Amino acid sequence: MSILRSIVASVRVGWYREFNWTNPFLGFSMRTVGPLAGVIAASSVYYVGASGAGKFNPSQLAFILIGAALYAHVAAYSWVPTLAIAEGKWTYVFPQVYISPHSSLPYLTGRTLASFASSTLTVIVSLVLSFYVLSSIFHTSIPFVVTPLSVSLLFLAMLVNIFAALGLGLLLSAYALFATKFEWALPTYVAGLLMVFSEALFPVSFLPHPVSDVANVLPFTEFMRASRQAMIQGGDVYSYFSYLGLAVLGGIILLALGFLAFRYAENRARRLGVIDKKTA
Amino acid sequence: MRLHSNPWLRTAYARLWVRAKSIYGEPLWVAVNVGFPFFTSFSFTMVYRAYGLGSYAGFAILGGVMISFWGNVLWSMASQFNWDKQVGLFEIYITSPAPITAILVGMSLGGILGTAPSAAMVAILGWIIFAPPIHPFWPAVVLVFSLTLASLYAMGMALSSLYLAYGREADSVNEALHEPVSLISGVYFPSVGQGISPFPFAVQAAASIIPLTIGMDALRQSLGFPIPIPFIPLYTEALILALMAVILLFSSSRALRFLENKGRRTGSIAVRQR
Repeated sequence: MSILRSIVASVRVGWYREFNWTNPFLGFSMRTVGPLAGVIAASSVYYVGASGAGKFNPSQLAFILIGAALYAHVAAYSWVPTLAIAEGKWTYVFPQVYISPHSSLPYLTGRTLASFASSTLTVIVSLVLSFYVLSSIFHTSIPFVVTPLSVSLLFLAMLVNIFAALGLGLLLSAYALFATKFEWALPTYVAGLLMVFSEALFPVSFLPHPVSDVANVLPFTEFMRASRQAMIQGGDVYSYFSYLGLAVLGGIILLALGFLAFRYAENRARRLGVIDKKTA
Repeated sequence: MRLHSNPWLRTAYARLWVRAKSIYGEPLWVAVNVGFPFFTSFSFTMVYRAYGLGSYAGFAILGGVMISFWGNVLWSMASQFNWDKQVGLFEIYITSPAPITAILVGMSLGGILGTAPSAAMVAILGWIIFAPPIHPFWPAVVLVFSLTLASLYAMGMALSSLYLAYGREADSVNEALHEPVSLISGVYFPSVGQGISPFPFAVQAAASIIPLTIGMDALRQSLGFPIPIPFIPLYTEALILALMAVILLFSSSRALRFLENKGRRTGSIAVRQR
């Protein structure tokens, strides 16, 4: 119960951190504008390239739209554990969290869940707005399936992906405990890698072997595929659950790896006395 | 004129040196900084190749190069004075005889020098991997690239004065500005120009007041990318960029002076966390 209480308290801390600098509406709008612009930019790249070649296909536009939106979603919350540690060292929050009993993992989990919730809202708004904006400026009909069932399946896929995203976040956090230089830049590096290897914008089969084989089994790739099966016309339930199952399996493996790496790093960081170290 | 006899040049050089040293003193920064622009540009290049025209791959590679500078302008120019204020450096700037414009110019030149290696790596890797077809007219490329950076960093100076008034909002404003400006400036695709831009004319016209939009279009023209009809002739764009740089530089100096005076009057010049 105390772990659950810690997680809930950390969720509140996360929301407070994200939105307390302004009123909630402005804060939410400013967090939405980035993902929305990212989705429109990726779709515009596709439109310019495909129209120039005379190969524009609304199904491919839907593929990119979903991928760009969900990529932004994953990138937005998977780096939160790293941010919580890096920023927490500077603001003396993380050492305080660490010295209270068994609280660093619930703290990082809570902060991630807070960001997951806000980023889920922003990504849904981005998807809806970009759907209307792009349909209008590209004069096309984007073949989305918008029914209570398809939207529920999308939410389920997003929930399942928390395992993988938290696992990745904990792996990065294990590094952030020791880092004094690159911890701020590392998540953007990983976000860039995710864009290439998670089938966000193009099928991973376009990548050379064996890189495509690795990308093919990443839980983030399976999450993207499951979401597309749910939201784009032509998807089927069997494929959806196959991809979702693989996303769960991969996510649990990544989470276990992240958990072990973080525990090891935390013990080692304490022995080396770097839990509150800010500069090299 | 000797460097050490002129306080303006000495200040600019000192600020440039600190910024350049922070990058070149730790070469791993180059590898770290190249990550996001390279992978983003790689993804968009793959989109061009996978779905349509491989000959447009150059748009995405050029975008990767310029997004490095745009990121540097936002995070290391616009919000720099705000961060300096948080750690107490801004008070030292104000109380010292160092001219604030020299600090800004030094910071810009240092930022350009510091970003150049990662931008060059994106260009080299992109060119090696994708070999996009280009027909550059190099003197025009050099001129337009220099003017684009001048106007872009002048915009960063203008924003830095604006951000000085903010507290924690600065980070959120940066995050909110980064993607939308990249989108309407057409960093990865031509956002202006008849027959190629996906945007209506009103959006193209609005986008044209951002130096990055004009700079990207001019760079695409000077590099000989396949653009059916240029938005504005190349040398007119060069002239516009030069004008933008001068106007933004002047505005940033005036805005900083105004905020400094206001900060003195209201006593908020040294207030850190808000």
